[in-house]
Amino acid sequence: MSEPLLDVVGLQTHFPVRRGLLRRQVGAVRAVDGVSFSIGRGRTLGLVGESGCGKTTVGRSLLRLVEPTGGGVRFAGHDVLATGGAALRRLRRRMQIVFQDPYGSLNPRMKVRSILEEGLVIHRLGTAGERLERMTRALARTGLTAAALDRYPHEFSGGQRQRIAIARAIVIEPDFLVLDEPISALDVSIQAQVVNLLVDLREQLGLTYLFISHDLSVVEHLADEVAVMYLGRIVERAPAAALYTQPLHPYTLALFSAVPSVEPHRRRQRIVLPGDVPSPARPPGGCRFHPRCPLAERVCREVDPPAATVEGHAVHCHVAARALDEAGGDAAAAAARIAAALRAVAPA
Amino acid sequence: MSRPPILHGDPRPLLEINDLVTAFHTPAGRVPAVDGVTLSIGRGRTLGLVGESGCGKSVTAMSILGLVAAPGRIESGSILLRDTAGAAIDLATLPEPRLREVRGGRIGMIFQEPMTSLNPVFTIGDQIAEAVRLHRDVSRAEARARALEMLALVRMADPRRRLDEYPHQLSGGMRQRVVIAMALACEPDLVIADEPTTALDVTIQAQILDLLADLRRRLGTAILLITHDLGVVAETCDDVAVMYAGRIVEQAPAEELFARPRHPYTIGLLAARPERAAAAARGRAGGRLRTIPGMVPAPQDFPSGCRFHPRCAYARLPECAARPPELVAAAAGHLVRCGYAEALGPPRDVATPDREAS
Repeated sequence: MSEPLLDVVGLQTHFPVRRGLLRRQVGAVRAVDGVSFSIGRGRTLGLVGESGCGKTTVGRSLLRLVEPTGGGVRFAGHDVLATGGAALRRLRRRMQIVFQDPYGSLNPRMKVRSILEEGLVIHRLGTAGERLERMTRALARTGLTAAALDRYPHEFSGGQRQRIAIARAIVIEPDFLVLDEPISALDVSIQAQVVNLLVDLREQLGLTYLFISHDLSVVEHLADEVAVMYLGRIVERAPAAALYTQPLHPYTLALFSAVPSVEPHRRRQRIVLPGDVPSPARPPGGCRFHPRCPLAERVCREVDPPAATVEGHAVHCHVAARALDEAGGDAAAAAARIAAALRAVAPA
Repeated sequence: MSRPPILHGDPRPLLEINDLVTAFHTPAGRVPAVDGVTLSIGRGRTLGLVGESGCGKSVTAMSILGLVAAPGRIESGSILLRDTAGAAIDLATLPEPRLREVRGGRIGMIFQEPMTSLNPVFTIGDQIAEAVRLHRDVSRAEARARALEMLALVRMADPRRRLDEYPHQLSGGMRQRVVIAMALACEPDLVIADEPTTALDVTIQAQILDLLADLRRRLGTAILLITHDLGVVAETCDDVAVMYAGRIVEQAPAEELFARPRHPYTIGLLAARPERAAAAARGRAGGRLRTIPGMVPAPQDFPSGCRFHPRCAYARLPECAARPPELVAAAAGHLVRCGYAEALGPPRDVATPDREAS
């Protein structure tokens, strides 16, 4: 593979916690705390995790909608975090975002025409005639007609609004889209329509996606590679097929086993995790997952696990690293061993 | 999942809804959110009521509980709740004071967002105890003891300490446990759970679903589980009813429904799930999903004839547009509201033309 389109190294986004009269900083919410990944051109990385794990903050940090506090982001050879002013604006033309809630992300007082045109104006793209042509083309790509231009967001259904939000993102012809839970607010029968649209656009326009979602089956369908986040960190990252068939991290296994399925043969014995996710303001020491991990050992409480990597499958877990070692680097065998260990300790 | 114990007493269903119509009278006209629902739940059984937003599933639940607020009202039909001796009361016509005895007494309630069901200014213990004292003639101390017992039953860690805590001190999953404890405090025959895990993360959802299944096994409570998630239904329910545009379009035992769905809407919903696509085409990432074209109609625009026909991959025009199909038994215990369910072949490929007109 050539140089990735997006390269993220040790990304950190902490939010200050202030208290008292002088608003002194007394701590920090470590929403994103050392996240690294890269996405090749035309590829899709799925970022999954539960609420509060930091996946949305990762997406926003990449576009600098929130300011990262550390780490590095390179996009098409440019250092995103060191860029400002007009140069940052030029980069942003190439990086766009689609939000979860199409009711909240479209200004209800603007016609679709103004919503789509705003980006073209800001980035000084095209003459008035060319803009109309671009807008019509973007709408057509998302399955809407030019008649939509003179209507307001409230005149559309949820699925159509999300199409408008996608049209707004692609009208300025970006290379890269952050898709932050783009189908979670939609009805089941509409979700599949929007998923198909995203697949088509990726093919037609050669787009690169960061697809953020808590819905593991949609991610499995769309992503080439998947990263699992827990409490501000990526705990496991692998090509989609490898992650879904041979998950190595106990958290990933628990997450997969918790997803209810209509397919009897896909149902796994549920691994129910005790307790709740701790606060990212006070993450536990050692492995951040250890207080809830059924396999936690002494070393897990003390040492932050480094990545163990086999054939592009990276996992941050002492137990998984040992299983990989003992299995001679055979990820499938190691995954089976961890699954068996989890089943053995699960309360029946 | 093991079956609940066989219960003695009347063999007829615990709850029987017949041809229920609940409509809202708005300035824009009459909106029949529930338009002829027929449904029954056996003692100790779990029935999943599935459908997309606006299909009328929550209004059905509100009708059972007598909580439909103006401008809505139950216009016709009956909702029979039977006791073990077989004596039935009709909740559709029961006066409010008697409904209040039923609510929280014989029927418990669990709603989606636990924070809205809990009062932020009272302790957890007080709220559960209040639920008990409303329906039982017990002293404060006895009610508090019962609250403690209930918190232990829903596997709340450190229940004695939690009694004196306030809702905001608990996580979302723990709050939902408190709501479940309140719903079960008076040993109801039926619990209505409206999207009880939708606001929760999957690992917490797994905890709550496990808890509900366990409580049902131990207490023999029947559950009406309302959800949009077919996966949740498949893993927790004995029976499933699928709702579309104010009506039940299919009802069957869960295993039967997921193995042999018969209504084109149910077939479409299942086929649109990415996991089914993944199961069918393992490794071929990014293929197209099957879709149901168009969108769910609003109650004021319900189409004529079969309400699903404009979106149906099998619709035969003009028959389907002209005549509303009846809910009939296609197999033992398997009810379908589709005139052609018997004759359906494999679904026509609707994967390509799924664009919505603007």
